[in-house]
Amino acid sequence: MFRSSTARFVLMALAFISVLTVLRFKPWQRFATGNTAVTNSTKSREQLGVGFLPVTCHLTCPVTDYATRTSTATRFESQRFTDFPTVVESIKSGRLQATFLLAPLAMKLREQGVPVKIVYLGHRDGSTVMVRQDLAAESLRDLRGKVFAIPSRASNQNLVIHKLMEDQGIREDEIRFVELPPPDMPGALAAKAIDAYFVGEPHAAKAELDGTGRVLHHAKDIWPGFISCVLVVHEDLIRDRPEVVRDLVRGIAESGEWAEQHRLDAAKLSAPYFRQNERVVRHVLTQPPDRVSYRMLTPTDEDLQQIHDMALKIGILERPVPIAEVVDRQFIPQEIKPANIDMQAAKDANN
Amino acid sequence: MFLIVVLWGVLSALTVFPSSLFPSPLDVVRGFLEEIQSGRLLDDIIASLFRVCTGFAIAAGAGVPLGLVLGHRARFRQALLPLVNFFRSLSPLAWIPFAILWFGIGDLPAIFLIFMASFFPIVLATTAAVASIPTIYFRVAEDYGLGGSQLLREVTLPAILPQVITALRVTAGLAWVVVVAAEMIAGRDGLGFAIWDARNGLRMDLLVVGMIVIGAIGVVVDRLLVRLMLLPSVRWGYER
Repeated sequence: MFRSSTARFVLMALAFISVLTVLRFKPWQRFATGNTAVTNSTKSREQLGVGFLPVTCHLTCPVTDYATRTSTATRFESQRFTDFPTVVESIKSGRLQATFLLAPLAMKLREQGVPVKIVYLGHRDGSTVMVRQDLAAESLRDLRGKVFAIPSRASNQNLVIHKLMEDQGIREDEIRFVELPPPDMPGALAAKAIDAYFVGEPHAAKAELDGTGRVLHHAKDIWPGFISCVLVVHEDLIRDRPEVVRDLVRGIAESGEWAEQHRLDAAKLSAPYFRQNERVVRHVLTQPPDRVSYRMLTPTDEDLQQIHDMALKIGILERPVPIAEVVDRQFIPQEIKPANIDMQAAKDANN
Repeated sequence: MFLIVVLWGVLSALTVFPSSLFPSPLDVVRGFLEEIQSGRLLDDIIASLFRVCTGFAIAAGAGVPLGLVLGHRARFRQALLPLVNFFRSLSPLAWIPFAILWFGIGDLPAIFLIFMASFFPIVLATTAAVASIPTIYFRVAEDYGLGGSQLLREVTLPAILPQVITALRVTAGLAWVVVVAAEMIAGRDGLGFAIWDARNGLRMDLLVVGMIVIGAIGVVVDRLLVRLMLLPSVRWGYER
């Protein structure tokens, strides 16, 4: 009795797992698509996964993904991550060779001996300092003694805020900094657990649309040409597939130019990739239109040196990293024309 | 349950919290429909069930035999039990960087994390169950001339099964709790991933959808495991 009932249970459990495995991997689909010519043609094309997070600073990544769905050049597949530590660990383990990443974090990787290069920028500006709606703060000075949230110590937002404090004569200990995951910031502000935060969009626009927060500064006003994220590739990729890197940089550049000229369409196209409300993305791209910019994406030595020096000062970097080692500008195209994007097809694909 | 939903509805109707941060029951119903229509919900459920069941089955398949050995052999027990306790105390979240390093992103690291969360408690519970079998059972078995695999089948397993099943029930709950953390690195699907993704996407309605589905499946899984206790071979253990 005992043996038969236990054996039956084990068999049932195994059968259940087998059914789940079949449902999970859908072998019939693989078989069906394996026979079609379409799959064969995409298989022969070069492919590359590019990491991004659902923030508007990374908007050119999904746009490039979309643009290369149908083109004959390299296919760039955007891979959505939920946090930067996972991105970093994926690069270190060699499972991700190209991604958007916080600029100081890219330098930190280089310092740790991970051979990555900054080959392009993802955006300019596009971060915002938000304060509580009911707080009568006009500048950073009014935030003395308040709780201020930053995404992480290694974020460029942290560097800029410290630079600003220094410029305004505010001591380090006068503002209470806390680190919070960006998606939690609007909620913390609404609950009055924090008084202000500085973060990449759309996590600031969210509080603005909710009516719980007010814009204190746009990044463009406190540090024109602000960079938070850069396009990083592994040196192995540069060595083994330089043409793919060239295609990628051109793709990002052209996607940026297209997004500049078609802001409403860009919001519509990227919202499903981000799985965010289109209204929030549209707000970021249009209120005001220069809240975030996707032009002038060539990183200058001066840009990177400034970030590097601040990162060193704050202690994110432990030792100087020569900028020439970090950056590689050979793939940047001379001429940038907008990407060729068919919005009608995008609508059909999303429906 | 009904009271909770009413309270939830009242709180959201009074807009005690901003509506985009605290969705109303109606928003969540709409989110449900959206997820069902797009087919994502079903895919997420299958992905999560697959990962949890596989991780849990491997943990049970390896954990119960190891527990049997540890329970029977005092020397092994003394050597390995501290180790089991050590690993049992570690949060699966701490393993995430290594899970990515060893298994990349997708099903494998999630299964690994679920395994890590459930394996050690199963070993421990089985060890304790074996160690608590009254020695008189074994003496009687000896009188009957039982030994080796026969002893295992006729005495040890029936004696520990009630406790092992209780342990499996508790651990299955644990594995299901861990799925949210484990699927942080799942890449593109799973109920846990859907929760992280909804957070990133600022979609609290979808986050609540994920919570409700995870809770509901947890209840169903527990009901199924409770049925095991009704088997004649183990029922005695609960009726003592």
